[in-house]
Amino acid sequence: MNWRHLIPLIIFFPLLLLQVTIIPLISIESIVPDLLLIAVVYSSILYGQIYGTVLGSVYGILFDLIAGSLLGSSMLSKTVAGFIAGYYSSETKREKYLNSYSFTFVVFLCALSDTAIYSFFSSWDFNINLFRILFNYSLLPSIYTTVLSSIVIIIPYKKSFN
Amino acid sequence: MIKFLSNAWSNFKEYVILCLLVILSLILLSQNQNQKVQKVRAIAFGSFSTVSSVFSNLFNTARITEENEELRKANAELMMQISKLREYGITNEQLRGLVGLKDSSSLPLIPATVVSKSLSLTQHTITLNAGLKDSVKPGMPVINYSGMIGIVHSSSDDFSIVRTLKNVDLKLTVKNERSRIHGIMKWDGEEFIIVNIPKTFDFEIGDRIITSELSSIVPVPLPVGLVQEIDDVETEVFKRVKVKPFVDLLSVENLFIVGIVNSTQKQNLELNFYR
Repeated sequence: MNWRHLIPLIIFFPLLLLQVTIIPLISIESIVPDLLLIAVVYSSILYGQIYGTVLGSVYGILFDLIAGSLLGSSMLSKTVAGFIAGYYSSETKREKYLNSYSFTFVVFLCALSDTAIYSFFSSWDFNINLFRILFNYSLLPSIYTTVLSSIVIIIPYKKSFN
Repeated sequence: MIKFLSNAWSNFKEYVILCLLVILSLILLSQNQNQKVQKVRAIAFGSFSTVSSVFSNLFNTARITEENEELRKANAELMMQISKLREYGITNEQLRGLVGLKDSSSLPLIPATVVSKSLSLTQHTITLNAGLKDSVKPGMPVINYSGMIGIVHSSSDDFSIVRTLKNVDLKLTVKNERSRIHGIMKWDGEEFIIVNIPKTFDFEIGDRIITSELSSIVPVPLPVGLVQEIDDVETEVFKRVKVKPFVDLLSVENLFIVGIVNSTQKQNLELNFYR
């Protein structure tokens, strides 16, 4: 483990600051993208599945403590998201998934699982249709997060490469 | 045995770590009401909010002009209402004096500003720059010039987290100001609904909804919203009353915390009665 592994931990607080102050300004009908998830997915692909899983749990528990949501809900959802992202991390696949639009596919997959698990603990009401929960609370935020991930990761990389 | 464990670890360590973290998450989910956990949470969000309040002040500046216009308009409307209410107040005082009723005191209002928001479709919370040092306590209602915003969930020395009305964990006892019928209003993730209203009860579109004095968390009448739609399904016993809140919860910045806490004497009396 070298000092580069600490970078995701250091950038957590600036990311959370952006998430709670600036990101609400670009919300669409209360749907916001998740910067923390993008960071978890990126770090998981870069440093491996175990690192991504542990980082997801650390991000999740800190977010739960600071944002006031149900303690453990975000920790669980981001742990699973980090684990899933780790499947796309290997010596041969890393470059492909980090520096191309395939990254957005991984982000979408992880965002879908993250929001589905998180909303499962938030919306424990049998009167609400399950598919409606998945569409409103999971699919739409996942799409928004995916769009943002392409803007903040892929486009700057391709511009600098060109 | 050791070799077996070593092989198992090297082949499945990712899954073992995942299982351990998932179990830890589930344990934490069950400890949400623990006092020590609440203290740690208060320290964590208090520390973070100190920094986020600086940044939020920069972005609040842009919205001040818009909010000022809204406040000027609201002030003008209120000024006209106040002059009418003055007359009613004088008459009320005279009548109260005649029947010997105890006077109700005015409620203390603690001003606060939103320093961060956690936007979630189901667990919408906001963090305010007022805490225990400003006499803010968990359970106090939060309002602005339009109406009810939410309830203080936890407080540190300088900051508080508020569960807004758009939080599935907040269920409010409300009443119809016109027909005086009580009900429970909740957020289902998409809209505000007053549930379990029998079909014979009088609700009309446009009725004003306020908090009920029967509520154990908000015992004073605060404006909540207007009845927007009534779902009256023929095959069901109850109707669903949809409410549109007065407050735009996504854009609140400056608000007040109502400094009331339920009387423990009243609560103890009710608890002893129902035992």
